[in-house]
Amino acid sequence: MNPTKPRCNFNSPSLFRSLTKPKSTQIQNINILFFIFIYLFIELMLSESVFCLLTEDLLIRILDRVNSDRKSLRLVCKEFHRVESTTRKTIRILRIEFLLGLLQKYCNIESLDLSVCPRIDDGAVSVLLSHGSVNWTRRIKRLVLSRATGLGYVGLEMLIRACPLLEAVDVSHCCGYGDREASALSCAVRLRELNMDKCLGVTDIGLAKIAVGCSKLESLSLKWCLEISDLGIDLLSKKCLELKFLDVSYLKVTSESLRSIASLLKLEVFIMVGCYLVDDVGLRFLEKGCPLLKAIDVSRCNCVSPSGLLSVISGHEGLEQMDARYCLSELSAPLINGLKNLNHLNIIRINGVRVSDFILQIIGTNCKSLVELGLSKCIGVTNMGIMQVVSGCGNLKTLDLTCCRSITDVAISTIANSCPNLACLKLESCDMVTEVGLYQLGLSCLMLEELDLTDCSGVNDIALKYISRCSELVRLKLGLCTNISDIGLAHIACNCTKLTELDLYRCVRIGDDGLAALATGCNKLTMLNLSYCNRMTDTGLKCISNLGELSDLELRAIPNITSIGIKAVAINCKRLANLDLKHCEKINDSGFWALAFYAQNLLQINMSYCNVSDHVLCLLMSNLKRLQDAKLVHLTNVTVQGLELALRSCCGRIKKVKLQSSLRFSISSEILETFNARGCKIRWD
Amino acid sequence: MLFTQVTLINRILIPRIEFEMNPTGSLCANNWARSSSLVPPGNGLQTNLSLDPSSFFGVGIETPFKEINQPSPTQCVIPGESKKDVKITDQETSKLQDWDPSAMLNNLSFLEEKIHQLQDVVHMIVNKKFQPFEQPRELVTQEQQLITADLTSIIVQLISTAGSLLPSVRNTVANTSPLIGQLSQLRGINLPFGTGTSSGIQPQNNCENKLFDHSIQNDVPNKCEMEQNHNMEEHEHKDEEDMEEGENLPPGSYEILQLEKEEILAPHTHFCTICGKGFKRDANLRMHMRGHGDEYKTPAALAKPHKETGSEPKLIKRYSCPYGGCKRNKDHKKFQPLKTILCVKNHYKRTHCDKSYTCSRCHTKKFSVIADLKTHEKHCGKDKWLCSCGTTFSRKDKLFGHIALFQGHTPAIPLEENKGLAEPPDRCDAKENSTMVGSMNFCFGSNPSSENGIDNMMDVKGNIDDPINYFSSLNFEGCNFGAFNEFSQPPFEDSDSSFSFLMSGSFNYAPKSGGESCSDNL
Repeated sequence: MNPTKPRCNFNSPSLFRSLTKPKSTQIQNINILFFIFIYLFIELMLSESVFCLLTEDLLIRILDRVNSDRKSLRLVCKEFHRVESTTRKTIRILRIEFLLGLLQKYCNIESLDLSVCPRIDDGAVSVLLSHGSVNWTRRIKRLVLSRATGLGYVGLEMLIRACPLLEAVDVSHCCGYGDREASALSCAVRLRELNMDKCLGVTDIGLAKIAVGCSKLESLSLKWCLEISDLGIDLLSKKCLELKFLDVSYLKVTSESLRSIASLLKLEVFIMVGCYLVDDVGLRFLEKGCPLLKAIDVSRCNCVSPSGLLSVISGHEGLEQMDARYCLSELSAPLINGLKNLNHLNIIRINGVRVSDFILQIIGTNCKSLVELGLSKCIGVTNMGIMQVVSGCGNLKTLDLTCCRSITDVAISTIANSCPNLACLKLESCDMVTEVGLYQLGLSCLMLEELDLTDCSGVNDIALKYISRCSELVRLKLGLCTNISDIGLAHIACNCTKLTELDLYRCVRIGDDGLAALATGCNKLTMLNLSYCNRMTDTGLKCISNLGELSDLELRAIPNITSIGIKAVAINCKRLANLDLKHCEKINDSGFWALAFYAQNLLQINMSYCNVSDHVLCLLMSNLKRLQDAKLVHLTNVTVQGLELALRSCCGRIKKVKLQSSLRFSISSEILETFNARGCKIRWD
Repeated sequence: MLFTQVTLINRILIPRIEFEMNPTGSLCANNWARSSSLVPPGNGLQTNLSLDPSSFFGVGIETPFKEINQPSPTQCVIPGESKKDVKITDQETSKLQDWDPSAMLNNLSFLEEKIHQLQDVVHMIVNKKFQPFEQPRELVTQEQQLITADLTSIIVQLISTAGSLLPSVRNTVANTSPLIGQLSQLRGINLPFGTGTSSGIQPQNNCENKLFDHSIQNDVPNKCEMEQNHNMEEHEHKDEEDMEEGENLPPGSYEILQLEKEEILAPHTHFCTICGKGFKRDANLRMHMRGHGDEYKTPAALAKPHKETGSEPKLIKRYSCPYGGCKRNKDHKKFQPLKTILCVKNHYKRTHCDKSYTCSRCHTKKFSVIADLKTHEKHCGKDKWLCSCGTTFSRKDKLFGHIALFQGHTPAIPLEENKGLAEPPDRCDAKENSTMVGSMNFCFGSNPSSENGIDNMMDVKGNIDDPINYFSSLNFEGCNFGAFNEFSQPPFEDSDSSFSFLMSGSFNYAPKSGGESCSDNL
């Protein structure tokens, strides 16, 4: 988020750019027409800005029409900028130093996201809050503090007490958070939504604080809060009667907790992945409780059996979603028959369960309204079974057949013919699938957005040609498809222009030509994996540097790329956040120097086995202000002193470092202690 | 009305066992006499009473004295009562003398009398058998029941008197006959003929009681105080004593035994007849005996000795505390008996003995039963579950139950980690402080001369220190937030532990010291 000065007058080149450059194609046609109209109008008027005449209401309406690309819109003219500033409700801060200025500018912010802002700490918060007249916190309703490990309970409490309207807080993955932080959170009395995933230190005491303090809570996620036990859950279900969503995944809770949870009358979604102490007794409590239950997830609950699940089903006819991944060894016929009564059931995920054609047939005949079916790693999935299930479930949008290795083109053709609305199809490791099946897919499933063909050795250039007919594709995974080449990739690049995620891991026949096609066609790519594509060179990398939206780039073990290519990427890919350069041994200091200076948004970097010197490493680590995770294994040109210096330079910000285990005792213990104290994890390889 | 006829009779007949003179007892006996007019004459009790009025008086008078004496064996004597005190000791010593032949003679004549009585009863049964249909059937069966009840009671009396003839048998009575509630009630029939004489005696006794009541009156409030204290202290222990509260045996359906103080406090109850070594358990003694020769190694010698008597329904035994004025003492108005000897021991030590075992961790809690100390030490210091209202709990689930029950209460995070500077000491903290102040005042009020008083002073010190620590550390935390707040935690730890100990200390101490101060004043 780069603050730009408001232009004094009409800025036609900017508008022109926003209309002509492919970047702004998200703007809907109607908006483009509208802009052209305005543009012409202004050209005629020449001197005055017409927007002065329009009321703010109308301007806001115009802005509402432009959904996604508000950024380029802001650059159009002063009025647009002003209206955009006043109507902006959410803000995601990348660097803390801009926060205050931005908050002054955008005075109606309701949602503040600090999750990608490295090391926001108590001091920063106190400065923000004490800053004179700014009462920006008055309107804040949502606070995203995920991974904000620098913030302690003092700062957290200050922040929460300053936001009287706060309704939602996300403190997920703040591993160090404990009861004190929970107690700070409990000050938010209007809180309705709270995500505490992986706050490892929170115990029943902390949960009790929250349960008593935030009695209006509607949504609570306690995933991986491993210290919480039945007592805490019991109190929660006595105090927070408004709960609609509850996630207790991986907690060491027993069936007793379910007895308490069953008393929550408004609960709609209940997730208990990996609660290995809960058994059928607990599920039977749910049979009579939670009358509004719509979704239940009992994945990886080893003690749950089909009969327990059946009791839940029989008690809730309005159930919409049932997840039972990796918890049942086999589906029983009574359970499937029980599904018959569930008219609203949309989603079934039974990954890892042994199924038979018969079972799949019952699902097909009983669950007509199914939208998503997950059969990943199920044993016993055959062509016949798939044909029977899809013939009944014509509305399927998501079908996961990962590792169902025995299915062939016949099944794929049937899927394509039966489910025209299919949006997501996962066929990882289905290596009997060939172009024949994918041909039908390309013909029928034009809504397809996500296709996973990882490790399908049957996929070749012709198959890619057929797939490219699915022009809506957003995510395409072709990892380990060793038979595809530049020709196939060019087909994809030409037709699938909406692609944002492409995985070409170990597609060894892909070369610079394919990448050139990709760079022109799929210019919305944000994630690109080219690891082990060892034919590509700097030429290909230069093409890639044209992908302005690119944020994740994996270039692991590509022997031919050098500093020249990396420099191009560093300069052009402004959004680059994750970069993997492991084993790229030809990149030297100048390449890393470029990264240090240009790739200012870099969050994670893997430069293990790279040829970087003390000096440049130090520069890189101190200069990249957003860097949070660095993997620095086997840096042959770096001395221990150089590494220490580099670590010292990034000590305040970095959260994770991976180092060579042989250095464990040569690095000064004082640095390691400081790292520990700052909440930074060191992983020894 | 706490004592039924059976116990009364037992006591009358067995001089060794303390008798208590209950004015209401005779009243009840009269009632029963009326209801059981069917009972045949020839009851020997009358003769017994008339024969042996001296023993009757002796025992009857003895008890009130004991009542005065026993409440305060360790406390100072009531001023102006020294004469009576001497008298009491006389009585006691006379009682301690082993056996006197005249009493034995009395007993023997009583036995004789009893055997006659038994004969009469059997005669009557024989007569009844000849005319079975003269009366309505119900009445017949009722009568038969009455007779059998009568018979059993007589047999019981016989056995018990015979048992008392042996000088070695003291305090405990081998009473093995089946006496269940219904039967024992019917036993009342023994008395009506005795009432003539006993009613003559009773006024006297009443007078004497009154007299003593006057003298005791000074003592009474003190006793009450003590009792309250004991209750306060006792409610912590969840043991057999408390469980028993709800037992509600009808008075008289059990036999009451009372052990002497020395017996209760004796470390061992089972002694080897050969080497004299003492044991706590009979089983251990039996194991020990094996070392004394092969004759003790037989299965019969090693088996539990009382097993064979278990087949017969036994009279339930209940125990009374020898400490006068105690609720567990049979003279108490709301007497609640103790179930086992172990209960007696624990009760006596807990309530009437010094608490000599001090917790080595907190140095505050004291116990008189070592098992209690061990239980406490398991939980001392750690796992202090504290609510925002200031209440502490030893168990987490109790705390959570409390929180679930009361609106707005939250668990307090131990002070070491108390939340930061932005918050002024809120309602909860204020409450905590006020309770602390309360206990402080109380401590000051108590008499510091005693050992406990000194302890209390120490408590007060802790009290004063703690808030300071608390606030200063808070300030420290406040200044230090920001850069290195991870490092600023250790200073709290000490204050926390002392605080939690203080909370428990003040809670437990306040009532106790109050009680002691009262007794000191007297």
